[in-house]
Amino acid sequence: MTVVRRLPAQLGIGLVWLYRLTFGALFPTTCKYHPSCSEYAVQALRTHGLVRGSALAGWRLLRCNPWSRGGFDPVR
Amino acid sequence: MSHLALVLAANPLTPLEHLARHVLNWLHFSVGLPWAWSIVALTVIVRVLLVPLTVRQIHSMQNLQRFAPQMKEIQKKYKADKQKQNEELMKFYRENNINPAASCLPMLAQLPVFLGLYYSLRHFSRESPKLHPGSLSFLHFIPSIAAHTTTHWGGYVLLVVYCASQLASSFYMSASVDKTQRTLLMVMPLVFVFFIARFPAGLVLYWVTTNLWTVGQGLITRRLIPKPPAPEKRTSRTPPRDEGDGGGNGAKPEPSGRPPQPARSNQPPRKVRRKKKAGRR
Repeated sequence: MTVVRRLPAQLGIGLVWLYRLTFGALFPTTCKYHPSCSEYAVQALRTHGLVRGSALAGWRLLRCNPWSRGGFDPVR
Repeated sequence: MSHLALVLAANPLTPLEHLARHVLNWLHFSVGLPWAWSIVALTVIVRVLLVPLTVRQIHSMQNLQRFAPQMKEIQKKYKADKQKQNEELMKFYRENNINPAASCLPMLAQLPVFLGLYYSLRHFSRESPKLHPGSLSFLHFIPSIAAHTTTHWGGYVLLVVYCASQLASSFYMSASVDKTQRTLLMVMPLVFVFFIARFPAGLVLYWVTTNLWTVGQGLITRRLIPKPPAPEKRTSRTPPRDEGDGGGNGAKPEPSGRPPQPARSNQPPRKVRRKKKAGRR
């Protein structure tokens, strides 16, 4: 049952990895946050599931803009 | 409403495709550009929209250059542990009120455009030519921007141009990244060519255009930002000389106060060379 429950989040993590291996590998941008946005997304999906995890990851991406400060920002 | 739900369920990226297609249609039918040039124009529009983000990045890069030596020291100190290195760098940023130049959003902003373009080009090759009247060729060497890149020799030319532009843009984008990571980033596009070869030629055209824009931006940025290695080399060269002079002869602090002297000592050989050159002439 837990495996079935975790499946959507695993799917999301798979998508993050797909991004990392394809588009992400082509663009040499280092994130201003630690952990990086994609790592943050994986952690958020793991701890909060697909819906909340995706929302958290999306919010983090919006924060990762040239006007923000960056820094240490782990998933809570 | 249910129809919309069905469409979204079929492919969540459909809205992106429609948006890309609308812009391409507008550029083709209203502005009057050929399809291939519409893609180039679309790319330029996207990059122009991203200019405010880039300007901000340039400003923070200029700010970063001031702290480059200290940051390099931190990178050297924690070379073995990348995570610790990142954490220490973040701390350093915080302490010195630095806003790091890199951020994920400007790069990711291009992803929806790329995906939208990919799907609309796939549609181009499937739909009836009546729906997209006009030539799909580009500069007479690519017969169709909707076909796979490798279906014509022109596609291979485009792939070579892509490789060159990708290498150049990686070079400019990774200026602050350390050397090993940089070489990896330079090699990456060469590996990706095999995947990209199966994309529609129009998509490669988009990529070439966006890369060339990055290179152009890099050239301008380089002029705006002072070169970081130059002051560092000076500082690393001068201290040993001063120390050597000061330590070897106790009476030499006075000459060190006269900087033109060592410069003069270097001058005679130059004069000799000039004379030789003049003699040859």
